[in-house]
Parts: sequence; C-alpha cells; structure tokens
Amino acid sequence: MDQVQDKARIIEVIKENIIKNIDGVNKTDIDTSKSMKDYGANSLDIIEVVSCSMRELNLKVPRSELTDIKNIDELAEKFVQYQK
Amino acid sequence: MDNTMAYSLADFNYNDNPDVLSPPADFEQWLEHPGVKAAFSLFEQQMLSAPVVRTEVINNFDHKRRKVINLTSYNYLGLCTHPEVIAAAKAALDKYGLGASGAALLSGTFDLHVELASKLAAFKEKEACVLYSGGLAANMGAIQGLLRKGDVLIMDEKCHKSLIDGGTLAQARMLFFAHNDMDSLVMMLEKNKGARTMVAVEGVYSMDGDLPKLVEIVEICERYHAAIYLDEAHSSFMFGKNGRGVGEHFGVEDRIGIVFGTMSKVLGGVGGFVCSRASTIRYLKCYSSPFQFSCALPPAIVAGVLKALEIATRDSTLRDKLWENVAYFREKLLGMNLNLGDSASQVIPIIIGSSGEKLLSMAIEIQKRGLFLQPVDFPAVPANARRFRLSVSSALTKQDIDEACNIIHDVIAVGLKN
Repeated sequence: MDQVQDKARIIEVIKENIIKNIDGVNKTDIDTSKSMKDYGANSLDIIEVVSCSMRELNLKVPRSELTDIKNIDELAEKFVQYQK
Repeated sequence: MDNTMAYSLADFNYNDNPDVLSPPADFEQWLEHPGVKAAFSLFEQQMLSAPVVRTEVINNFDHKRRKVINLTSYNYLGLCTHPEVIAAAKAALDKYGLGASGAALLSGTFDLHVELASKLAAFKEKEACVLYSGGLAANMGAIQGLLRKGDVLIMDEKCHKSLIDGGTLAQARMLFFAHNDMDSLVMMLEKNKGARTMVAVEGVYSMDGDLPKLVEIVEICERYHAAIYLDEAHSSFMFGKNGRGVGEHFGVEDRIGIVFGTMSKVLGGVGGFVCSRASTIRYLKCYSSPFQFSCALPPAIVAGVLKALEIATRDSTLRDKLWENVAYFREKLLGMNLNLGDSASQVIPIIIGSSGEKLLSMAIEIQKRGLFLQPVDFPAVPANARRFRLSVSSALTKQDIDEACNIIHDVIAVGLKN
C-alpha cells in the first residue's frame, strides 16, 4: 500500500514539474502512459523536469539508467526504486 | 552511494551547495571512487610533441611517457605541422607579434584577417564570411546573432552543444528532431508554421561519423520556408569534388543559406568561420557577441590557416589519400566484426555497448599498448552505445594502420568476445 501511495505522490510531483517547464500543458491533460515528448518537451525540458522532480523528492537516479524509459509512468516507477 | 559507476557527469549539473564556489558534496564523493578516478585520468593527458600520427604522451593513469600512434587528434589532412604552414605562421609572428591586441571591429582586423575571410567566402561560394576566435564561439555566436526570443531553432538531436548554447543565448524555442528522421523534422516544422525558423544540421555528426540526409532536408525546409544552418566542422575540405563539404557532395550547397566551418580541424589552427549572404554577415557582425567582444584571432594563426587553406584546396592529393586510408581502415575494422555504426566519413566509432567499466578498462589497456585512442562515454553518447572514436588522417601510413589494428584487435575485438 505504501508503495502505491509513494508512486501517486511521485507522479503528482512529476506532473507539477511538467506544467512548470513545458508550455501549454494542463495537469488534467497529462496521461502517464505518454512520454513528455508527446507534450512538446525537448530534451532540455525533460532534463529540467527530471532534475527538479528528483530534487523535490530527495532522490538521485543515475541518468544512465533513464535511457530506456519510455513514459511518465516508467519514470515514476524508477523513482520508487530509488526512494530512501 | 551504491552503484557509483552508474553515475556520470550527467548527474551533477545541479548544485544545492549554498556556497556557489563549492561543487556539490556528492560530486566530490563520486570523484573519490577508484573507477571514477581512473576514468578522469584519461582527461587532459599531456601531449609532448605535435598532434601528428606518431607522437608522445604522458598517461595520467600510471604517469609513464609513451610513444603512441595518435588516432584522436582532428589533424585530418596533417596540415598542422606542414612545413609551408609553419613557415607562413613564423613569418607572420615576426611581422605582427603574438596577438591581435583588440576586437575585430576596432583594432583586431589585420590585412591577413580580411584576406582569409575573403578566401573562405570564395571557396564556399558565398558572398561573405565572418571569422571567430573559436569554433564553439562561431556556432554559438551565429545562432545567438541571428535568432531572437520567439524564433524557432529545430536541430537534429545529435547536433553539437555549441548550437544548443546559441539557441539558449538567443532565447529561441528549441526543438530536436530524431536523428536523420524526416517525419520527425516535418512534424516539428508543421507545428511551428508561421514562426521564423532555422533548422540546424551537421555535415558529419561528430560522435557517429554519419551524414545528414541533406537533399531531403533541403527540400523539406524549402517547403516550409525555414533557413538551413549547416555545420561543416568535420566535413569541410574533405567532402565534395572540390572539398567544399557535404553541401557540394550532395549537390545542394547553393540552396543552403548559412554554413559554418572550423579552422581547428583540417586547417590545423584554431577558430571558426561562418559564410552566408553579405547582408547576413554584416548584420551578424553587429549583433554576435563572440565576434564583437572577443580578441580577434592571432595573426600568426591566420597566416598559417591561410597557407593550410591553399594547400588543402590546390588539388585533391590529401583528400584522396584520406579517403584511401578511411577505406583501408574500415575494411580492417569490419574484418574484426566491430560495430562501426552508420559511419560514412573519416570519423569512425567503434561501439562497445552499455558497459562503462569495459570501455574504461579497454581504454587504459589500449593506451598502455601505445595507441592514443580515447573513449567516449555517456552522456556524450547514449548509455547503451559507449564507444571509441577514431579520427582517420591522410598522414597515416598503411603500416601505422596495420599496427593500430593489431592493438584494436587484441584489446577491443578479443575483449568484446570475452
């Protein structure tokens, strides 16, 4: 149950950062099965969203492990694994 | 910190340390790891003579001097030490002194600078040329000088950092299309219809050695009225019948609005240049910070580069030798079943895969054997495609290539099988 709650909280943080960093996206529009690229993010925007989210959640995932991540849900899963 | 080696320079850009002069605490801790130390030991190794094929280095990992075969320098046509180039630079050093002592607009423009800019423009078949003191400065400065907030800069995702930095300074909206993927490019142009748009691509992608799909890119950009910025850092003076670059190679150079080149690779010196219409260059000179606010190129470098330009372009001897060497090298590497990606140029990657540890241990072993071949690790290349990157030079002999390939075989080809 804890992990489910953690993941929900993590997704919330990621969504907030997507809204802050990518123009023209509403929170209710964000589908976690999609990639940030689908919302018009470029690679620099994605770095920003990931970095801000990790700082806020106080965790640090190596970037090299994010290479194969395809969508927001997978990113949240990865964050769950690295929770302290 | 667990799995320390999984971390990379991509992970320490943000710094929460209240003292801005202090690096992040976890970065300092990361640097103490023996594996990270070994990887860093490959940076900034001292070269003890010219960046030619047979040179000498001090390896940081064991502090030993080694005579090496150099496959890392960008001295593609061997002009850095050409006797005529050296003589021209020495003569200019005697006549003009060490530096330009001023920015180009006020007092840093010498007769040599005017001659070089004019010859580069003529060679590239453009109306005018502006010189910059650095290659990064030229790319960054040209983008910053031409684009404004609200403008759109669409780049191939493998474009160089200097172009991205230019877009950041210009406050342009930056978009990256999937590498050489024309559907992805069209989608981005379609979404940004009506905006002032520049599309930036490279002549040879520097980590992969492959070429852009330039004919298609030109056709697409014309359809969308987007300007093309072509970075020919690794293709000028090598590609095309007359060596003008991939624009000439693909037969579309007159349809490309602005081209960048560097003086630090084939021309053996330092600096960058941008060629375009006279009105574009005049405007750039008024608004491009690295041109306006940097000391101009040292006259001796300009004189050496002028001579190198003459030698590189007076006939095709050096280019022909380069392509002969590339063909021979490729054949030998492919014979070892190595993964050279889509390379179609003198830049040849040997893709190792996802193991950073393997890349590092091979790099140290290969350098101990006397081959100066540097690894390229994540985040410079994708984490699943870490690699070595060879720069082939016309100055290599078959014997050099054979000797280099023996080492590559023993360390990389055999190492990948184990």
